[in-house]
Amino acid sequence: MASPQREGFTVPTSISHAALGQVTTKSLGVKYNCAQCASSFSLGKNDAIRCKDCGHRVIYKARTRRMVQFEAR
Amino acid sequence: MSKRKFKVEAESDEAFQELFQPEYRGKKLTDEINTADDKWNLLPAFLKVKGLVKQHLDSFNYFVDVDLKKIIGANELVLSDVDPEFYLKYLDIRVGHKSSSTPGTKEVILPPHECRLRDLTYSAPIYVDVEYTRGRKIIMHKDLEIGRMPIMLRSNKCILDGITEKQMAKFDECPLDPGGYFVVNGTEKVILVQEQLSKNRIIVEADEKKNIVQASVTSSTHERKSKTYVITKNDKIYLKHNSIGEDIPIVIVLKAAGITSDLEILQLVCGSDPHYQDLFVVNFEEAAKLEVFTQQQALNYVGKRVKTIRRAGAPKLSQLQEGIEAIATTIIAHITVSDLQFREKALYIATMARRVVMTMYNPKMVDDRDYVGNKRLELAGQLMSLLFEDLFKKFNSDFKANIDKILKKPSRTSEFDALLSINIHSNNITMGLNRAISTGNWSLKRFKMERAGVTHVLSRLSYISALGMMTRISSQFEKSRKVSGPRALQPSQFGMLCTSDTPEGEACGLVKNLALMTHITTDDEEAPIKKLCYVLGCENILGIDSATLHSFGNYGIYLNGTLIGTNRFPSKFVSDFRKLRRTGKISEFVSIYTNSHQNAVHIATDGGRICRPLILVENNRPKITADHLRKLLDGEWAFDDFLIHGLVEYLDVNEENDSLIALYESDMDNAESLFTHLEIEPFTVLGAVAGLIPYPHHNQSPRNTYQCAMGKQAIGAIAYNQFRRIDTLLYFMVYPQQPMVKTKTIELIDYDKLPAGQNATVAVMSYSGYDIEDALVLNKASIDRGFGRCQVVRKNTIQLKRYPNHTKDVVSGMRVDEDGKAIFPHQALGPDGLGEIGARVENGQVYVNKCVPTNAGESVLGHNEQSPSAESHRETPAYYKGPEPSYVDQVMMSVSDNDQALIKVLLRQTRRPELGDKFSSRHGQKGVCGIIVQQEDLPFNDNGISPDIIMNPHGFPSRMTVGKMIELISGKAGVLNGSLEYGTCFGGSKLEDMSKILVEKGFSYSGKDMLYSGITGECLQAYIFFGPIYYQKLKHMVLDKMHARARGPRAVLTRQPTEGRSRDGGLRLGEMERDCVIAYGASQLLLERLMISSDAFEVDICNKCGLMGYNSWCTTCKSSENIIRMTIPYAAKLLFQELLSMNIAPRLKLGDIF
Repeated sequence: MASPQREGFTVPTSISHAALGQVTTKSLGVKYNCAQCASSFSLGKNDAIRCKDCGHRVIYKARTRRMVQFEAR
Repeated sequence: MSKRKFKVEAESDEAFQELFQPEYRGKKLTDEINTADDKWNLLPAFLKVKGLVKQHLDSFNYFVDVDLKKIIGANELVLSDVDPEFYLKYLDIRVGHKSSSTPGTKEVILPPHECRLRDLTYSAPIYVDVEYTRGRKIIMHKDLEIGRMPIMLRSNKCILDGITEKQMAKFDECPLDPGGYFVVNGTEKVILVQEQLSKNRIIVEADEKKNIVQASVTSSTHERKSKTYVITKNDKIYLKHNSIGEDIPIVIVLKAAGITSDLEILQLVCGSDPHYQDLFVVNFEEAAKLEVFTQQQALNYVGKRVKTIRRAGAPKLSQLQEGIEAIATTIIAHITVSDLQFREKALYIATMARRVVMTMYNPKMVDDRDYVGNKRLELAGQLMSLLFEDLFKKFNSDFKANIDKILKKPSRTSEFDALLSINIHSNNITMGLNRAISTGNWSLKRFKMERAGVTHVLSRLSYISALGMMTRISSQFEKSRKVSGPRALQPSQFGMLCTSDTPEGEACGLVKNLALMTHITTDDEEAPIKKLCYVLGCENILGIDSATLHSFGNYGIYLNGTLIGTNRFPSKFVSDFRKLRRTGKISEFVSIYTNSHQNAVHIATDGGRICRPLILVENNRPKITADHLRKLLDGEWAFDDFLIHGLVEYLDVNEENDSLIALYESDMDNAESLFTHLEIEPFTVLGAVAGLIPYPHHNQSPRNTYQCAMGKQAIGAIAYNQFRRIDTLLYFMVYPQQPMVKTKTIELIDYDKLPAGQNATVAVMSYSGYDIEDALVLNKASIDRGFGRCQVVRKNTIQLKRYPNHTKDVVSGMRVDEDGKAIFPHQALGPDGLGEIGARVENGQVYVNKCVPTNAGESVLGHNEQSPSAESHRETPAYYKGPEPSYVDQVMMSVSDNDQALIKVLLRQTRRPELGDKFSSRHGQKGVCGIIVQQEDLPFNDNGISPDIIMNPHGFPSRMTVGKMIELISGKAGVLNGSLEYGTCFGGSKLEDMSKILVEKGFSYSGKDMLYSGITGECLQAYIFFGPIYYQKLKHMVLDKMHARARGPRAVLTRQPTEGRSRDGGLRLGEMERDCVIAYGASQLLLERLMISSDAFEVDICNKCGLMGYNSWCTTCKSSENIIRMTIPYAAKLLFQELLSMNIAPRLKLGDIF
């Protein structure tokens, strides 16, 4: 069972949307991790704060994909 | 068989697995076992059974399992005033499991860590079984939930009870965490142990100046609390009670209680002692003068003086009835009177009077209030039970009022079901418990109890600070009173309360800590003990004639302070009783002791007594043999087996007085006296926190006390789950090390697994001038390698609220400038408006871009036509403020219990030591970093080792911390030998052995080395004391304290600069500084500091009327003629106006000086 979603890619909901290159879910592309099952998913603006797999109500934001530079001192 | 048991044990408790390994702490199974040296193994066995916080857990378990049922029993019926047929009866109560569920199930809302994260209360439902009438039928209802009980972590209702380390990890919980606290609304709350004078016991005190002797007893029952005194006034004895208007002569009280014969009174109070009789006879004259001879007269006399507050509706009582009522229920309320059988109570009063007479004859017979045996410790369970009973009574009365209201209605459509109205209030108990624990306000009207600050937030600064909090005892004494008694170290504290661990300053001596091996008792049943006493030859008090009561050699037997009988052979009685206890026939926590001054044998079964285990001794040989200890090491025996086999027993403070306790086994060799007990380990006089100090017996005592305060501020590892925790403020040490010089206590409390400090190589020498006044010189290379490096994580909570008009707070994404890049304040934000994990947040940047709807305040109705989607929001972002940037560590999103989104952002800083950061060794020797020096410039020895820290030798002579020097030598020996050395109190590695190791390894026995100067390369003129000392980094860091300001915010009212670092305030030039400037005569400086740089204000003053005008116009004189413009402080202008408002006119008269 491969992971259904690849990083940064959301499955378009319908063919027409896919043709237009639109993604209907207003997900912002930010990934969240469930505190219980550690599954990764993204949330829309008005989604309830809840794991999409197990329904756990504590989720953590995933680490940024931006470059972070530390000063090693 | 032993092997199988061993296996089971190992599985169930991994933390102690080490104990059962074939080789335990360097001791193999085949090694010779020496009782004198190995009896200390009882201590880990004790801690396994009892643990450091066991008193909290025991008390809570007792409350939930036993006390709750008693409370239900005492308030079992709810009746209706309207319908006499109706009743509701509580049958049973359970917390956390239903009647149907299999035994051992624990039902809690969520695991404790999730409650911490989500700001919830870790609680379990309270179920009751009820039986009630519905119409003509009687209905049973099981498992009715009446509320939720906060659950103490690791108690037997907690899911963490008895689970393995692996399962702990699954719950995100640290296996080393002691438990014993509650999680209420996401914060960890501890109910501190409260110390108070024992209840239901007679305390005799004397005031020699005023010539007053008084015996007092605080009676505490489920119903009320009251205090009764027997007191002398002009050498006559009276009884005093709050609800009786005036003091009543003792003879009248005794007559009212049914002892009418003067002879009997004399016999009960004085016995046949002529001295006592002489002192007491005056009291008979007093009664005779008042013409009270019979019981009826006496009752009338008492009844006339009773202050009664009758509830409305209660029938008025006659004087006689009032008198009976007072004697039966009010005075000495803890002795219950049934069928007007006053004799027990009369004997109690007579005993009090006797104690007073004895003290009048011999003033040395007073009791000591500060004696630990006269104190009781109140624990979480007792406080919770008081609170719960109060709430439960309120719940029942609300419920009753509710059903009365319904039953009053003449016609009902359906048959009345009481259960429909019971659930309405079910929130009351939950909320009441939650509120009391989270605020710490225990207000119970029943007991006139109004206590604030009962609970505290569990300090999570380090593992030790959390542990130290669990063993803390707070006293009820006022802090302001200037009496030394309650603060002084009592000899009776030995082994029970830590001798070193107390704060400095105002709470000194009032806040104490438990020693390592103590246990606090819970209540035991009194009735079976009473029965046992009669069986053992105690004559029932009701069957004894008063003449023989105080006859020579007759000992009174007191059970929990109440005389229950006498015995002629007290020593046999006591030893028989103890034999039964040692064989486990009665609870091991029941204490019995003789008091030869009072000719009394006291038996105590009450809760809150401090006790500790001791090894029993027979014929000056300990009963524990090598064989027993082998069984313990094999895991065949646990601590309780030692109790059952009568090898070890618990003694409370009073019973210790009946014993002769040997400190060491060798003390008993060839001793003349017969010892009764042997200490398990002498280092248990110290508590958990003081146990960290190596060689504390070589230190000056206040230094150990200082270390106890500082050990709690040390930064270190907090718990195994420390990176999962989201606390307001947490400090972690980046590379913590276990100390080179450990103590047994350190191993027992697992400080070596969660340490707070590092082994620094210290050179005790002078270097530069930056090391005066305890300042330390730090090696820059060590800092670069991670010495003293710590992380500070701070939580920021944001709640997204919902408003009644269906609008809600939102988080909006970042704003961008024309290049499409985020604007500076939004640089750390992600597209979701929350800080990106790992992003750097600088001063003035936003980490959560919260937006509040602009119309949040508008009503729910109206404006409904307008499209609700077009909500407008106003940004109310959370800004980061601080001199150094932070990094976003975690962003947690969840839902709190009122269904509002909860966002917690954890910001992290990594800090390396800098100038001014505070460090301390484990000997109360604190110091700040004075200079950081390049390694090249530091001295080095012939191995090329240079110190991490240079400490000024002037720190030693006045502090007399010899323990620190020995720590250095032991540590150095350990480093060279590859071993960890011990600095256990009254033991540990011997200095001589350590010196031998040093010499073997080619070093000086004294620990001094030859060093070369790092600057000149020459060898130093003196040998330098050089070696590792365990150093702690304390939480006080410059970064959190540094503050300076030029111009900045001002207070609105006075226009003076604000106060305090958090408000970017100014630095005050106070009165005393001002006095200096005045004395020096620097008037212009004074003017500049106090006015120009502060709150200068231009006013227009009319020189005619002396009042203030404005715009060159005097409103009083209606002219601009005499207006003079001048500068005064705004505060002065404010004062003038305030005076004006009070009808006082301050007028200024201005004139030229020059």
